[in-house]
Amino acid sequence: MARSGKPDRTDVCIIGAGASGATAAKALCEAGVRVVALERGPWRRRESFGGDELANINRYNLWPDPILNPRTTRADAAERARQELFCPVPQMVGGGTVHWQGWLPRFTPNDFRLRTVAGALEGTTLADWPIGYDDLEPYYDRVEWAFGVSGLAGANRFEGPRRRGYPCPPMPMSRYAANFHKGCAALGWNSFPTPQAALSRPFGGRPATVVSAFAQQHGDPTGTRSSALNVFVPDAVATGRYDLRPDCYVRELTLDRTGYVKSAIYEEADGTIVEQEADVFLLACGAVETARLLLLSNSGRFPKGLANGSDLVGRNVTFHEYSAAVGLFDEPVYAWAGGGYVSASSFQFYEHDASRGFVGGGHVAAAGVGIPLPINWRLPGSPAWGAEAKRIDREAFNHSMAVAMVLHDMPQHDNRVDLDDEVIDAWGLPVARVTLKPHANDLAQGRFLIDRSGEILEAAGANSVTRVYAERVTGNCSHQHGTARMGDDPATSVLNRWCQAHEVGNLFAVDGASFPTATGANPTLTIMANAWRVADHIVERRGRFAQAGSQATGVSA
Amino acid sequence: MPNAMASRAGSVPPGAGDVADTPGFFDPHQRETIAAAMARIIPTDATPGAREAATIDFLDRYLSGTGFIYAKPDGSGFETLTGRAERAWRERIETMRGKYVAGVRELDSRAQHRFGGDFAVLSPDRQDAVLTAIEHREHWPDSALSPAYALGGPAASGPALQQTSTEVELDFLPLLVAHTRQGFYADPIYGGNRGRVGWDVIGFPGPASLEEVHSGRYSTLEWFAEGHTDPSHENRKPHHGA
Repeated sequence: MARSGKPDRTDVCIIGAGASGATAAKALCEAGVRVVALERGPWRRRESFGGDELANINRYNLWPDPILNPRTTRADAAERARQELFCPVPQMVGGGTVHWQGWLPRFTPNDFRLRTVAGALEGTTLADWPIGYDDLEPYYDRVEWAFGVSGLAGANRFEGPRRRGYPCPPMPMSRYAANFHKGCAALGWNSFPTPQAALSRPFGGRPATVVSAFAQQHGDPTGTRSSALNVFVPDAVATGRYDLRPDCYVRELTLDRTGYVKSAIYEEADGTIVEQEADVFLLACGAVETARLLLLSNSGRFPKGLANGSDLVGRNVTFHEYSAAVGLFDEPVYAWAGGGYVSASSFQFYEHDASRGFVGGGHVAAAGVGIPLPINWRLPGSPAWGAEAKRIDREAFNHSMAVAMVLHDMPQHDNRVDLDDEVIDAWGLPVARVTLKPHANDLAQGRFLIDRSGEILEAAGANSVTRVYAERVTGNCSHQHGTARMGDDPATSVLNRWCQAHEVGNLFAVDGASFPTATGANPTLTIMANAWRVADHIVERRGRFAQAGSQATGVSA
Repeated sequence: MPNAMASRAGSVPPGAGDVADTPGFFDPHQRETIAAAMARIIPTDATPGAREAATIDFLDRYLSGTGFIYAKPDGSGFETLTGRAERAWRERIETMRGKYVAGVRELDSRAQHRFGGDFAVLSPDRQDAVLTAIEHREHWPDSALSPAYALGGPAASGPALQQTSTEVELDFLPLLVAHTRQGFYADPIYGGNRGRVGWDVIGFPGPASLEEVHSGRYSTLEWFAEGHTDPSHENRKPHHGA
C-alpha cells in the first residue's frame, strides 16, 4: 500500500532486522529511543515455516532466490566475475537466525589481539581489534540470558572469564555428540556441549524448544527456538517504539549539507519510493550488503561510496569456510536427530600456536550430514547414481556423522566486496561482487583442522573416515565479516571502536562488517553482543548525534 | 504484469490432491523415457526404488508450471506464487523444461546409435551404458547442489560448496539425478516418495505429514543418546570473575 506522504523523522533508523538489527532495536527501544527499521525482506510468522527440506534448502523458500538477488564472484580483479550465490543469508525479519541452529560460542580473549599474539603474516592485513573481550563480556552475558542459551559454563577450557553460567543446562545429548566427546576424551582433548540458541527447559516464559529433525536451515513453526525473530523482535515491538517495516528495500543513503546522513531512500513492495529521515543510521544488512549499500550511496563528498574516503569499504572481507571429516560407525548415530546440530564442540585447536606452522585456529564440532534427508547429501567419494549409490545411502544414513570445522580465514586487502559492473538485481541495482583468493595460511589451517576432525572420528570408533579438505573459500558458512573494519586509525579502518564511521558522525554499522578478523568461531553471538554494546553507547550519547554537523558527535576513541 | 506472467498451472486448482489428476509437462514418450532413466538412478533391488516412489510424478508435476513449488507448511495444499518470485520460478522451470526435452532426445539418439532402439526399451545394462556415456561427457559442477552442511551432493567431484541449491545450472544428467533424489526423499506431498518408501529404505522416521511438524508434535528426541547426560569429564566448574 502506498504511503501517504513522507514519514515522520525518527530517532534512529536501522537498515535490516536480522541478528544485529533486531538486537540493536531491542536495546534502543527499551531505552526509550524511537526506531524505524527498514527490512528488505518479508516479516514471516512462525505459521509460515515447516519441515520441508525441498522448499527450504532447494527452492529458496528461505534462502535468497539467485535470479532475484544474484551475486558474482571471481578470484582476482583480472578475472571476469561469474554469477554465484556467494555467502547467502536469508533476507527477512530475523535474517539468518530464522533458519539457524544457533551455535553460540563466545570468542576468546586472544581473538581480539591476534596480530599481537601471532605477529605479522605476510599478505594479510591481520589486525588487533580496538576493543577487547572485557568490553563484550557484559553483552555476551546479556544475549545469553535474553535468549536462554543452553550450555555448560566452564566446560570450554579455552573460554574467557564469564560473570555467571548459562541460563539453561545443555541440550540433551545426541549420539553424534556422544561420539565426539568419546573421541576427544580418548585423545586427551577438551570438549564441551555446544552452547545453543535453544531452551533445554522452559525459560523466561517460553516453553522448552521442540527437538525436531527439521531444524538447521528450516524455519521454526513452533516458535520455540531462540532467534532474533522469536526473541528480540517481539521485545522491541513490545515497547511500542519499534516501527518495523518489512518489504522495504533501501536503495541509498543521502547526505545533508554538513556531511551527515540525512535519509534512507527505500522502495516499498509496490515500487513506491519513500524517504525516511533520522538522527542516527545503523547499518545491519550483513557485511556484504552493508558494504554494498555504502558503495551504492555515492555523492560529491564521497565519490567512492559513503564513508569510503579510505577506499577500505568492502575490503578485508572474510567468510570462514565449512568443511568436515565424515565417519561411518557400526552402531547407528542418527545424526539427523535434532536437526543435525545438537552437538559437541572443541576449542582444542582454536588458539594460535606457532608450532603448528600457521596463524590462528578454529572451532571443530560434531555435526549431522543430511538436512535432515540425503536429498542433498551423499557420502564423499561415493557414486552419484545407480545401485551402489543407493546401497551407500541406505547403509550410511543412520550410521554417518561429520566433525566439521569453522576455518579462521585471514583478512587480505585485495579480498573485497564491490559493485558488479554488469549484473543488476531484480530492483535494478548493481549486485555485490566478491573478489576472493584464499591465503596459503587458510588452506594450511584447514588441512590441520580437518585432520584433527578425522582423528576425533577415528578415536570415537568410526570404521571409516573420509577427510574433505577446503580447497578454497566459497562462502558456504554464510558468515561474513570485515567489510568496514573497526579500528582507532582512520587510515586503516572504516569504523571507530564504537562502530561509528570515522567520516560520518551519525552512521554506524552493527553487523559483522566491523570485525577486523573473522576468528575461528561462529560469529552471531558476538555480532549480537557488539550490536547491543553499540546501542548502549548511542543511548548514552543520545542527543549528541541529533545535531547534524556538530563536532560534538565525534566520539573519540 | 501479473497477468502477462500468469502461471500455466494457474488453471490447476492448487492442492495436495491426487498427483495422477495433475496435468504434467511431459508427453507420454518423454515421461516413459525419464521414468526409465530414474529407475536406473535409484534402482529397485530388495528395497523399493525410483519407480515405486513415483519420482516421475514428482518431476512431471514440478515442471508443470509454478503451482507446485512450495507446499503450504501445514500440508493443506500449495502456495500460489505472485510477483517477482513467480517470474523467477517461471524462468527457472522454463530453463529446466528445455534441458529435459533435449535430454530425452539425447538419451534416444545415443540409444539408437549404440543399441538400435529408444532408451526406454533398452535393457537396464544398456540403459546404464547410455547414462554412463553421458556422465563421462558432462560437466558436474562443484558449486551446484552440494550443500556445505551435507558433504558430497549429487555432483561427482569436488568439495561441498554453497548450502543451497543452484540446480537450474546443472547439465541434464546431474539435474536428473538431483530431481530423482528429491522425488525419492522429499515429503510425499510433492508427489514422489509414495507411501514414504524413500524414507523406509534409509530408515528415516519421518513425520506422518507436514502438519505434524507444523503443529510441533513431531519430535526426534527419542533418537538421542541414553545415559549420556555428563558431556564433559573435566573442568566442569564454572569460571568466576569478569
